[in-house]
Amino acid sequence: MVDSKVKQLLLALRAGKVTFAYPFEPRPSEPGFRGRVVVDTDKCTGCGGCADVCPTRCIRIIDVSPTYRIIRRYLERCIHCGRCEDVCRYGAVRLDLEYEIATTDKRDLFIEQHLFMGSCSRCGRCYVPPTPLDRLMVVGFRKDEEV
Amino acid sequence: MVTIERSTEQINQVVSALKERIGDKVLGVEQPTPHRLYVTVAPEAVVAAADALFNGLGARYLISAGVDKRPLNGGFEVLHFFAFDQANVRCALVIPLKGDPPRIPSITPLIPGAGWAEREFKDLLGIIPEGHPDPRPLVLPDGFPEGLYPLRKDYPYDYKPPLDRSKTFPFKEPPEGTTVVTVGPFFPVLEEPSQWRVFLDGEVVVGCDYRGFYNHRAIEKLGDSALTYNQIPMLAERICGICGCVHSTSYCQAVEEAAGIEVPLRAKVIRTLILELERVHSHLLWLGLACHILGFDYVFMQSWRIREPVMWLAEYLTGNRKHFAINLVGGVRRDIVKEQHPRILEVMDKVERETKELADTLLNDMPLLARLKGTGIFTPEEVRLTGAVGPTARGSGVPIDARKDHPYAAYDLVEFDVVTHDGCDNLARTLVRVGEIFESIKIIRQCVKLLQELPEGDLMAELPEEIPPYRHGMHAVEAPRGEVFHYVLTGENNRPYRWRVRAPSYQNIQAVPVMFKPGTTIADVPITLGSVDPCFSCTERMEIVDVKSGEMKVLTEQELYQLSRQKTKELREKNTQ
Repeated sequence: MVDSKVKQLLLALRAGKVTFAYPFEPRPSEPGFRGRVVVDTDKCTGCGGCADVCPTRCIRIIDVSPTYRIIRRYLERCIHCGRCEDVCRYGAVRLDLEYEIATTDKRDLFIEQHLFMGSCSRCGRCYVPPTPLDRLMVVGFRKDEEV
Repeated sequence: MVTIERSTEQINQVVSALKERIGDKVLGVEQPTPHRLYVTVAPEAVVAAADALFNGLGARYLISAGVDKRPLNGGFEVLHFFAFDQANVRCALVIPLKGDPPRIPSITPLIPGAGWAEREFKDLLGIIPEGHPDPRPLVLPDGFPEGLYPLRKDYPYDYKPPLDRSKTFPFKEPPEGTTVVTVGPFFPVLEEPSQWRVFLDGEVVVGCDYRGFYNHRAIEKLGDSALTYNQIPMLAERICGICGCVHSTSYCQAVEEAAGIEVPLRAKVIRTLILELERVHSHLLWLGLACHILGFDYVFMQSWRIREPVMWLAEYLTGNRKHFAINLVGGVRRDIVKEQHPRILEVMDKVERETKELADTLLNDMPLLARLKGTGIFTPEEVRLTGAVGPTARGSGVPIDARKDHPYAAYDLVEFDVVTHDGCDNLARTLVRVGEIFESIKIIRQCVKLLQELPEGDLMAELPEEIPPYRHGMHAVEAPRGEVFHYVLTGENNRPYRWRVRAPSYQNIQAVPVMFKPGTTIADVPITLGSVDPCFSCTERMEIVDVKSGEMKVLTEQELYQLSRQKTKELREKNTQ
């Protein structure tokens, strides 16, 4: 009984102080962390692969006309699984190491992207087949009807 | 290691036993793999068939699932799942049903552990289990419109009907002269909002009643009506906040089995490693919280301190400390490369050393042992009847462990022992969990060795263009709390037709009333419940209703802990005298 109490005391003393001073000192995350979603609009071709694989459906696609596409990302619903980063063949979506993205206004987490698409005059889609969508072998491609 | 011959022999035995018992009521036999058996039986013979399996051949009851097959063949279907743990065989009784509402004889009088599953398909699909001893609602909220069944295919997944707020839940009448202690609806010991009404005579527990499913999230419905195959793993992971990876692994394995996809070996080893990492952190978390309930905050702090590097390691390997999102149908998403191996081993060495020290001080602490020993007795026969799994069963000396009995991922390539204990009490369940931490560390080390030997990069199997529809797949993974079971019936439109999940607590919570043996006092209630399931958040309040005077008293979290800790203190004083 007493013996075990002494052991407990020693164990606690040896551990010492383990609490970090965060947020008063920075705690950078390690490489490979799935943090904030960053979109490089120059690289995006508007294929919509990310919208198709997103488990929370936080990426919505609105086709205003065959040459004009809007991609909306409601990132307050994002679970940071990184599937969009996986499927993007052009490296347009990336999850960086930033994790301090909490906000009181969900509009801070909203990204809207306007794409002017060069569509194929034969089929109306943007590329000759197989299109990036076909290459992703996606089924049940989703569109948001509202504009 | 069980051979395929042994499984085949068991399957033949099952088929001949069923044919002998119910004759031509066996409508069909399907054996998609050497370890799986689906027997279609006529509805009127289901009790006899279940009896032949459960009592005749000693099968373990897993779960039941109802399926709305009206769009396909105009009827319903119920599946009762059983496992033969010595032979690596899982077997399902498939019962096609006609008519609306469909009726099926209840197997609950025979197998008490089937009680909830039958009430669930009654609520969600309108399949009526005839002769069920407790036909109260289970899942649906109070005042849900009658005749509406959410899991039927004609019910839209986002429809929310108006509730009749005047209806209340029919709780059990307490026995004469007892006091009712209501714990919940936000339960202080388990992670879920759930309500227990414990009937007390003085300080001694004489019975209890349970109401749960306050926070039913309709995950199965979402899976078979809104999401696609590769979106579900992320949702499956969120079934549980502590052991998420087990659900996504189990789901992926069930789909892979149905579609006949062979996962690359490296992906299997990575799954094994991540699953064991999860077990280490989950058991350390449980150990801390169990001791916190008893008033040993020292252990709570130390075990959580030991646990933290495991969480950091998980974040380093997968990109997130809890929701790893590493599984997809066909393999895993991230490799664990050579540069990461030294850190895994380093963390494991540290955790092993520190856990050993902690366990050493812990298990020599007399008051702690006195609180755990002899409370919450759960006998092996009760394990069989309730279908309890995991450390709850292994603490009663029942050596069921899906990792050993039904090897999946890379568990057939690593060596480990199944930790069991014969004590049948709260102490035994604690010892099992402590022992399992060391076994998990052993497995992780072997996984790292395997990863070093295997070529890097081969992580995903080649997926077929489309997963073939209407095929069965069932798979289980040994979660920290017990066996997680997933059943998938593949469907069209790139999503399952039916996805059934059974978390270990589903069976283990049903076992709790059995653990309140005569003589259990209210102070032992928190730890007995805690010994089943390692989450103790959601502490809100508890309510004491004196039946005779109708007077109501509200106990706060502090007062509840006070009761539990007072007993420890008394024991400690008694011990030092």
